[in-house]
Parts: sequence; structure tokens; C-alpha cells
Amino acid sequence: MSPRHPVSRRAVLRSGTGLAAFATLGAPAILHAQTKTLKITTWGGKWGDIMKATVLPAFEKEHGCTVSADQAFPYVPKLQVSPKNDPLYDVLHTNSNEQWLAVVDGLVMDKITAKEVPNVADVYPYAVSDKIVGVSIFTSAIGLGYRTDKGITPPKSWKDLADPKLAGARGGYLIPVNSLGQCHLMMLGKVYGKGLQDLDAAYKALEQLKPIKLVDFTGQMEKMLLSGEVTEGVIHDSGVYRYDGQNQPVDFASPAEGVMALEQVLNVTPGSKVKELAFAYIDYMLRPDVQKLLAEGVWYSPANKKVKLEAKYDAKLLTTPEKVATLIQPDWKWYNARKDDIDARVTKILKG
Amino acid sequence: MSVVLNRRPFDPGKAAYLGLNLLLLVFLLAPIAIIFVFALNPTPYISFPPVGITLHWFDKFFETGDFMRSLWLSLWIAACVLVLSIVIGGACALALARGDLPGRTFLTAFFMSPLMLPAILTGLALFQGYLLAGIGRPIWGLIMAHTLIAVPYVLRTTLAVLYNFDRRIEEAASVLGASPSRVFFEVTLPLIQPGVFAGGVFAFIVSFDQFPVSLFLVVPKGETLPVVLFNYMKFDLDGAIAAASMVSILLALAVVLTLERLIGLKAYVKL
Repeated sequence: MSPRHPVSRRAVLRSGTGLAAFATLGAPAILHAQTKTLKITTWGGKWGDIMKATVLPAFEKEHGCTVSADQAFPYVPKLQVSPKNDPLYDVLHTNSNEQWLAVVDGLVMDKITAKEVPNVADVYPYAVSDKIVGVSIFTSAIGLGYRTDKGITPPKSWKDLADPKLAGARGGYLIPVNSLGQCHLMMLGKVYGKGLQDLDAAYKALEQLKPIKLVDFTGQMEKMLLSGEVTEGVIHDSGVYRYDGQNQPVDFASPAEGVMALEQVLNVTPGSKVKELAFAYIDYMLRPDVQKLLAEGVWYSPANKKVKLEAKYDAKLLTTPEKVATLIQPDWKWYNARKDDIDARVTKILKG
Repeated sequence: MSVVLNRRPFDPGKAAYLGLNLLLLVFLLAPIAIIFVFALNPTPYISFPPVGITLHWFDKFFETGDFMRSLWLSLWIAACVLVLSIVIGGACALALARGDLPGRTFLTAFFMSPLMLPAILTGLALFQGYLLAGIGRPIWGLIMAHTLIAVPYVLRTTLAVLYNFDRRIEEAASVLGASPSRVFFEVTLPLIQPGVFAGGVFAFIVSFDQFPVSLFLVVPKGETLPVVLFNYMKFDLDGAIAAASMVSILLALAVVLTLERLIGLKAYVKL
């Protein structure tokens, strides 16, 4: 080896190649370490399609992060099992009843305010009411779906579901597993008794609805209505409006006693390592442009007051303070505390 | 010329036996027939009689990225589980049948125990275990979970063969000069192969259709086909579900037929 060249050219080349290889192989890992990941839950179906195709990629681009969106139920049991200081999700998207289950175990925050999420300042009061933990980003109205070709009068009251002509052709839910069924039960208490919490009146009214066809999911109720197997059934407005323009003989009626709220709630887990990003995501989901895209995609009523929808959506969805005032929000904390007893009782009533 | 009819007398017992078998066959196959009708019916809901025939739902199934990704993942996992459960289950069976191990009955019950627990609890326990160990939900964790459920099938079928095994054949090979490894690979293995592969078929199908264990262990964009179908059904209950079910059934059938061609089903149907 020449003293003028203590390091040979071959050694330099070899070292350079090694460094280049290390940089090439190591780069993705370093990049990955710098990119924050937001772990969320979200729905499937059309909602999931829009989220994956448009909403989430735009959020990732805006915030330089990746979003890991879990669509596989059940979310709350998974969250219960995961460590609280390193939760499986940063943002939990569920209906309101499950958020109440989660908050009792300290799995999600009590409230989300405009301080953390600025767009909360623009939501309708129901979205952050005392019946909500977290913030509701959309709602649907639970009412009655019916066939328009079976010669029945469009329902005006919840009591119309008990019409003897609908025996065997009315539809409801397996109450222990479906929050629409649980809402319906509470509404029976209000319509036939002293209020949403009058369970005795609700049980008696439920008995009168037999024979009734019961399903697990709202998707099944939609298909039962479409196939004509059910003439009138409990369903949320989105589950009927989504067939708008498809020449299907189904429509939705909001009973005079009011419609129950089926809120889409977002909440942050207290142990999240990316809490700021989680709040940013909720703020993004409440942004008028994102709200409009999703509302018109899946027929959900937006929570943000500033959202302007196309005329056909505006006409049917809850987009004014007057329409929003027809929403009745159940007290899920009260319901969940009695759920086991209620489940046992309704199963006894409806078995067979 | 008179014709003598050689008619067998009516046997009510045999008729009842055949009738019962026919009923059982209808009971087993009727759901598949309903799925088949639903998959080919153009209406986006179950209706009978069908209003026409369409392949639209199959198109939708094969064109939906989530379905395809989950189908290949399920097949890949099931293939891994097949291999792992054959190796682990086969080795366990040999050890239990030949090893003269203390507490053999207990060990057999221990290895069979995954079949006795509700699978949803196994899934939940593994999920919690993985999280506590800080390993998250890796794909190999899902494969191991499926293997845990599948091994008892291989164990049971292989043990059945081993307990009916005539060991004098091995002894003859040894007397004729074969080394222990040669005896194993050229005598023992071919003879227990039907039992091992019968268990392997079960292992593949159990993994491919596995839902309760997978439910807690799948990750976003890494869901298996049964989990994707369950989630899809909550929002869109249309014919794509039936088409997916038909494809699953046909794939399972293809695996069984392939194994039949390779090793012969007849060899182990008597197990």
C-alpha cells in the first residue's frame, strides 16, 4: 500500500457501496420512524369506500402521517384489552351507546371541546350535549321505513307499527345486539308510557308487536324492506334514502312523536401517543367540505351547522335547527346500566 | 313364454335407512343450494324464486380489492397452517404414540384442548397475550393462532393411524438392515401419510374458514376473508356475499380434490 494513499481506491469504493446500501435499506425504516401513525376505527360499506378513496388519503397528505383504519368489529372489547397507556386506537368511531360503555372504563375522553377541536364551535348542540361523550360528527334519524307499493298508509306515529294488518310483516331488531332496537324499545316507553325510561310500558308495547321479524344489522333490515319481506320496519333514514333514484318502492317516515338520534361519534383515547393528531383528525372530519362529501355519499345529517348540501339532500336530511330539534337523544348511561336485565326481559318476550 | 321377475321384497328398514340418509343429505346441502341461488340471482337481496341469472355478484367479488386481498391472504395463511400443523401435529402424534411418555393421556388431552375451548376466547386470550408481550398483531401471530386450532385435527387423525399400525413391518425393515431414519422415511411415513394428510385437509379448511380467532388478531388491510365478509354483511348484504361463499366452497373442494389426486382420499375415508 502506498504511503500517499493510506486508503486504497478499492476500499473507498467498497465502503461507499456499503454506505449506499445501508442508506437504501435503512431509509424506509428511518422515514417510517419519522412518520406518525394515527390508529382509528371506521365503518365499512359505502362510508368505508369514501374514507379509503378520498378522505383518509387527503388527511394523510395534509398532516404528513399515515392512518391505520380498523374496520373489523368489535372495537370496544379490543380497546378494553389493549394497554391504556398504549391503546390500540387513537380515535374511536362508534355509535353513542358504545362510547358510553367505553367512557365508563376510562377508555375514551369525557368531552371534546372547541379548545382541542376548533370546528366543535360550529356543531349543532346535540353533537356535544350531555347525552354525548366525545363529539358527534353526523347523525341519522331512526324512524319507520315502509313499502310504498303495499297499499298501506304512510306511518305518522310509532303506534302505526302495531297495526294488526302488519302482523308478520313488521320489522325490528334483536334488541340485545342492535342499538336501533334499543332506541325503539325506549321510544315505546315514551309513546305508550311516561317516557323513554318507562320500561314496563315498553315491554307491554313490545309484546303487542308480535309477530315481528327481527334482524341483527340495519343492512339486513334494508334488504328485508327491498325484498318486501317486511312492509314496515324500524330503520334509520340513511338506510332508506341511500336507494334514492334507484326506483325502489321504499320510503322513510319521521313519526310525529319524534325520531331517535343515531349519532356517529368520534372520541380520543386518553393514552394516545399522538393526541394532537387525533384532535386534528376530528377537526378535519368536522370540516364543512369533508362533512358535505360524506353526508352526500351516505345520507348522514352533518353535525356542522355551516355545511351546505345539494338541494335533494338538504330537503331530506336534518340540516336546520328546526329539523334537528325533532331528534331525541337516549340516555345511554342509564340504558347501559340496565342492559343485562333489559336483554333478559326482551329475549323472554320475543323468543320464538 | 313366461318371464320370471326376480324382484326383491320391499324392505321397510332399508327404505327408512335410505330415506333418513337422503334427509340428512338435503339438510347438509340445502344451505349451499340457497347460497348458489342467491349468488346467481340479480336482485340485491335473497328472494325466491329467482328472477333471473347473472354473474354480476361474482364480477363484484373478483373486482373488489378488499375481497381479493383477503382471499389471497386467507389462502396463504391456510397453506402455512397446513404445513405447520402437519409437522407439529404429526410429530406430536408420533411422540404420544411411540414415545412412552409419562402422562401420555394428560398430554393428549392438553394438545386437544384448543378444540374444547370456545374459539372466540382463544382469540381474545391470544390478542391480550400478544399485546402484553408487546408484539402487536403480526401476521405470524395469526398463523400461530390458526395452527393452535388446527393441530388437534392432525393429531387425532394421525393417532388413529398409529394406534392401528402393525409395527412388525418396521421391525422387518430393521432386521433387513434399514437404518432408523430409513425405516421412518420409507416405512413409517408412507403408512401414516393418509392420517397426516387427512388432518392437513381439515387444518386447511379450519384455517381458511376461521372467524372467531381471526376477529381479534387481524390488522387493518390484513383482514382474512371471513372477517371481511362479516364486516361487509353489516353494511351491504348483497349477492357478493353469496358469490364469495361459493368461491370459498369451490376452493375448499379444489383442495380436497387435489389432495385426493396426490395421495388418494380412499386411503383415509375409513379413518
